[in-house]
Amino acid sequence: MPVNDPQSIIRRNNVKIMGTGDRTLLFAHGFGCDQNMWRFIVPAFEHDYRIVLFDYVGAGNSDVSQWDERRYATLEGYSRDILEICEALDLRQVILVGHSVSSVIGILAAIEQPDRFERLILVGPSPRYINDTDYVGGFERADIEGLLDMMDKNFIGWANALAPVIMKNPDKPELAAELEESFCSTDPRIARLFAQATFFSDNRDDLEKVRIPSLIMQCSEDAIAPVEVGDFLHARLAGSTLRRLQATGHCPHVSHPEETIRVMREYLEN
Amino acid sequence: MNDLMNAAPCGFVSFGDDGIIRAVNQGLIELVGYTRAELEGKHLESIFSVGGKVFYHTHFLPLLRLQGRAEEIYFALRCKGGDEVPVLINGVRSSRDGEVVNDCIMVRMRMRRRYEDEILRAKKEAEAASAAKAKFLSMMSHDLRTPLQAISGYASVLGQEFHGPLLEAQRDDLAQIQNATRELSRLMDDILTFAQMESGRVQVRLRSVPVDEALERAESLVRLRFTDAELAYQREPLEPGLAVKADPDRLQQILLNLVTNAIKFTPAGGRVATAAEREGDRARIRVRDTGPGIPGEYLDRIFEPFTQVETTQANQGVGLGLAISRELARAMGGDLTVESLLGKGSTFTIELPAASVSGAGMDVVPS
Repeated sequence: MPVNDPQSIIRRNNVKIMGTGDRTLLFAHGFGCDQNMWRFIVPAFEHDYRIVLFDYVGAGNSDVSQWDERRYATLEGYSRDILEICEALDLRQVILVGHSVSSVIGILAAIEQPDRFERLILVGPSPRYINDTDYVGGFERADIEGLLDMMDKNFIGWANALAPVIMKNPDKPELAAELEESFCSTDPRIARLFAQATFFSDNRDDLEKVRIPSLIMQCSEDAIAPVEVGDFLHARLAGSTLRRLQATGHCPHVSHPEETIRVMREYLEN
Repeated sequence: MNDLMNAAPCGFVSFGDDGIIRAVNQGLIELVGYTRAELEGKHLESIFSVGGKVFYHTHFLPLLRLQGRAEEIYFALRCKGGDEVPVLINGVRSSRDGEVVNDCIMVRMRMRRRYEDEILRAKKEAEAASAAKAKFLSMMSHDLRTPLQAISGYASVLGQEFHGPLLEAQRDDLAQIQNATRELSRLMDDILTFAQMESGRVQVRLRSVPVDEALERAESLVRLRFTDAELAYQREPLEPGLAVKADPDRLQQILLNLVTNAIKFTPAGGRVATAAEREGDRARIRVRDTGPGIPGEYLDRIFEPFTQVETTQANQGVGLGLAISRELARAMGGDLTVESLLGKGSTFTIELPAASVSGAGMDVVPS
């Protein structure tokens, strides 16, 4: 597939564009589900901003046939998705909103092409999930193995609660409605490799290469990105603002949308 | 919590979107070993394993929040003593006492977990074995190709009579060598393609391919074999300019497989025919034979790798041709199907997107 064909990138990443405004908010979903994760946030911004939503290749309603084991074995492969979407839509001065692992994916994209991005909004970011000497990531390697085991179990044949309900079939549009409902379904192999790329990554050394301002949205009692991680990021990301949310957990945009919207707005209008 | 709920043979927990446990039943208390007071008001995470906490945030909560329910989710609970208990969870969002809560039941899976572990282990072993096999096949077909190219090259040199004129009988023998070499080369292409498919590395380069050229190219490679097998071959007239969007080499591989199969399985005196037509934006290329036909129970199975219809004929190949042909057709946005009538013959149909002859844009699609 020619990389420079905008339509094919839009199809590949199931890109959705909405809203009106001079500034562009590009929302990048994290590991787990897809662009649907932003559905409680988007309505609050679509009157003032152009909104761009997408699914990473392998997630949601992206074109799974474009998934490549080597490319998506590392977070760099996912950051290329973001850059290719920006190129396809000729986006400039993008405000990238990345949840969880997409914070780091967004950081990698912003290091690669700093001129594309105006600023970063990082929701529950972590540059490394596994503890290290003098670093609290929140996890031991065995914990991540436990997660992978749980994923294997949830994707096993008959208990396929999360495996794709049906295969993508462009010849049968009547099946599309059914696809819309399968939010967290992914091919088990793709999900597993995304989990490995996410939880075994270490991007601490990349932080000082970021040249654009960022907002770190740190949740209270976040089992995936503990407060120490937010402090670590704040200390190393030049021009960063750290906001501690009342929201607990790791998905404030899903569990506490009002506060998430308010904090985002305050930062954007500042 | 009413008596009925407390007596239910499963764990029950109700929690808010903030993850805080609102209520539990006696079943859950017994499952995890904490008291009611130790559970209610605590975060649900406190009874999940670490992996479970991550899975809760990345999958379970989003599913409940976006979809309103989540079913058959496997979790490992962490009990008071530190032991892990595997459970299956069903959850649904509902409204109670003016608040939105997530109600979940948890069923312990003692034996099932052991079976699942065994299934997973066997699956991983099978995948590793399959990857090793694919690698072996790929290496083998590469290694065999070098001597095969030497045979084919020297046979061609002999045929050009550089070293002196050949006797008529020698020329016939040489033709047999060249035929066998081509057949071997085709089989190795199939094995290599199969190995690539197993490891997900097959790529197709789509462009507009005129159907008459594709058929002509395939026919030129098997013409002699029709004569040897005493079969009549006929290409039915084609709609002028009919073209498909395909990878020309992959289409060739499919056509050769279908025609070679037809030759193999049609008794002497029979007939093989090709035809093609366009229907809307699709085109169909058919290969028809007057062979013995395929029994109904085999019609689907013949597209599985290493499957052959048991016939009186001796071993006629490894049974890869149709499997890879169907996969290749699908990788090109088409399909390969069969219709058959016992005693009358079979018709294999390659369906592909129709194309205009002029539009020759390249497109690489990994399969």
